[in-house]
Amino acid sequence: MSELAQEPDAFRRRAGEALEDDHLQQAIAYSTERLFGHRTEAWALLDDVERLREAGREIRTRTIADLDRHLDTFITAVEARGGHVERCATAEEARRYIVDICRATDAKLAVKSKSMASEEIGLNPALKDAGVESVATDLGDYLIQLAGTHPAHIVAPAIELTRHDVARLLGAVDGIPVEPELGALTATARRQLREKFLAADVGITGANFGVAETGSICLVTNEGNGRLVSSQPRVHIAVMGIERVVPTTAELAVMLQLLARSATGQKLTVYTTLITGPRRAGETDGPEELHVVLLDNGRSRLRGGKYREMLNCIRCGSCLNVCPVYRKAGGGSYGPVYSGPMGAVLVPLMTGLDKAPALPHASSLCGACTAACPVKIPLHELLLELRADLVEQGVASRRERLALAAWSYAWSRPWGYRVSTALARLGQRFGHLAGPGRAWARGRKLPPISRRRYRDRRI
Amino acid sequence: MRVQLFATCLGDLVLPEAVESAAELLQEAGHEIIFPENQVCCGQPAFNAGHRRAAARVARTFVRAFSRDLPIVVPSGSCAAMLVHHMPSLLDVEPYDVRELSSFLAGSALAPRNEGRRIAYHDSCHMLRELHIRDEPRALLEASGAEVVPLARPDLCCGFGGTFSIRQPEISVSMADDKLADAGRTAADALVTADPGCLMHLRARSERTNGPHVLHLATVLARGVKQ
Repeated sequence: MSELAQEPDAFRRRAGEALEDDHLQQAIAYSTERLFGHRTEAWALLDDVERLREAGREIRTRTIADLDRHLDTFITAVEARGGHVERCATAEEARRYIVDICRATDAKLAVKSKSMASEEIGLNPALKDAGVESVATDLGDYLIQLAGTHPAHIVAPAIELTRHDVARLLGAVDGIPVEPELGALTATARRQLREKFLAADVGITGANFGVAETGSICLVTNEGNGRLVSSQPRVHIAVMGIERVVPTTAELAVMLQLLARSATGQKLTVYTTLITGPRRAGETDGPEELHVVLLDNGRSRLRGGKYREMLNCIRCGSCLNVCPVYRKAGGGSYGPVYSGPMGAVLVPLMTGLDKAPALPHASSLCGACTAACPVKIPLHELLLELRADLVEQGVASRRERLALAAWSYAWSRPWGYRVSTALARLGQRFGHLAGPGRAWARGRKLPPISRRRYRDRRI
Repeated sequence: MRVQLFATCLGDLVLPEAVESAAELLQEAGHEIIFPENQVCCGQPAFNAGHRRAAARVARTFVRAFSRDLPIVVPSGSCAAMLVHHMPSLLDVEPYDVRELSSFLAGSALAPRNEGRRIAYHDSCHMLRELHIRDEPRALLEASGAEVVPLARPDLCCGFGGTFSIRQPEISVSMADDKLADAGRTAADALVTADPGCLMHLRARSERTNGPHVLHLATVLARGVKQ
């Protein structure tokens, strides 16, 4: 889980860099507003959005409450159709299994479609160490890989790149300059990626959902790369979080309505792919082997606890798009994988609070995320819970705990309030020199404590 | 009606004029005000920072000071939300009849003091999304004669967020700048909010950047926007 851990001051430091980057600021504001605008239009076309949200929430909650049974059904169904399921408790186990499959099949080249789970387990460096070239084939992911950075958004990973950046990155691949113009850029990416698809030995995908009754992996993409990755190479490996399971195709249909509309405002994405087993006798295409890596990596710890609703997340990105803090900080501030409110909740739960202590506070608790979530996860309330845990577990600094305790004792009696605020008024002209006042005074005037409080003005 | 007035800590200490205005409005609407002298704070600053024991210690002052027999009017959306949504479970007490000022005053006959004024209204987050109070403050402003000019994003957080404002001061200030710029583009006479937290933060930034006047809803309704 070290992939997701971060230093206490990392968020503020990286966000500070993001704030200095005018282009990044404009790109995030533009992209998130566009995505959420599409989403809002798409939701408005539904007869009863609240009923659909409630149906989605109910399906997720019910499935996760009985996850073991649904996973057993899923595993049985995948294996009945000739696939293999490997349950991996940790990122390390998942990496090792995937590397082993690559070795066993003598793979030299792996192509990947977009998968946050594979980012979560740090798959790319592991494959590289094992001598397997891996190429991301989602256009945004491909560009991120060429740039050597991490996804800035869980749905739209390369939102901060300009067409000039893209032209430079693509041109550097084979030394052929590309016009920074959309048609030329997509044609170049397509040409470069086609060669990889045709030569790849292994295809690695994520799984937006896994259908228990049929053993199907459902992939939701807009570029068609998911289909090539899962059908062209000899081996298909799907990395799927254990919480992605839905019991039936009827319930999948409900979840797909919510996911596509929430992520991009589409009724359905351009490609919604259901993969049920590897190539069967008599079929002309499809992989010879299908491996489903069922990834736990801390997820089952959340079951039944006060954070269980986080397992309902369908990774649509709505909470990022509406978050005023994400909009300023950018994806990278939250760490290399998950970002925005869902990341601020999920990452500390996966790493332990001491490994990501800034993230529960990387929010103004405005609640826009909770209002936007298609499956009604109370994200800002979960952040509030995490903050309480920071204090309970002693991760919050001793200084902070002492300061709040002293304040609370002073304000636990009316006379203590009167005395402490009178003293604060006397000392307020030095307030900007240290502590909270100093942080406040970065760009703001310190609000003066009135010479006569309201309570002193009466009579 | 007899009502209890909760000034809130920020109201008492930093915005006493706004609380005076709130009291004037309540009287103008025909209410009799009781001000419990032993009131302190709802505990929200500590609660939102995760310090629940500290929050409970302070919130108990509220329970000791206020009665359940009369409504409690609060000129602060976020303190009202704290008292409605969190205090009962924090202290394991029955809920109080807490009303945010503008929702309590909705429909009251108040003198029109803002004829010809153009006012931009900022929704504070907890008032909008936890108490679902959106139309009442706008209706009161319109009834006072003002033209309420729409912000592009009235619902976007101003960046205060309690301790967020000092843990992430750079982001917090940048969010204030967006809000102030939004208000600036409307060329309104004032940016108005019903939350002392948002107000303190936005005004503190606006004074540094020569941005728009930022005023409390109660001040604007009771005394009018001065030009």
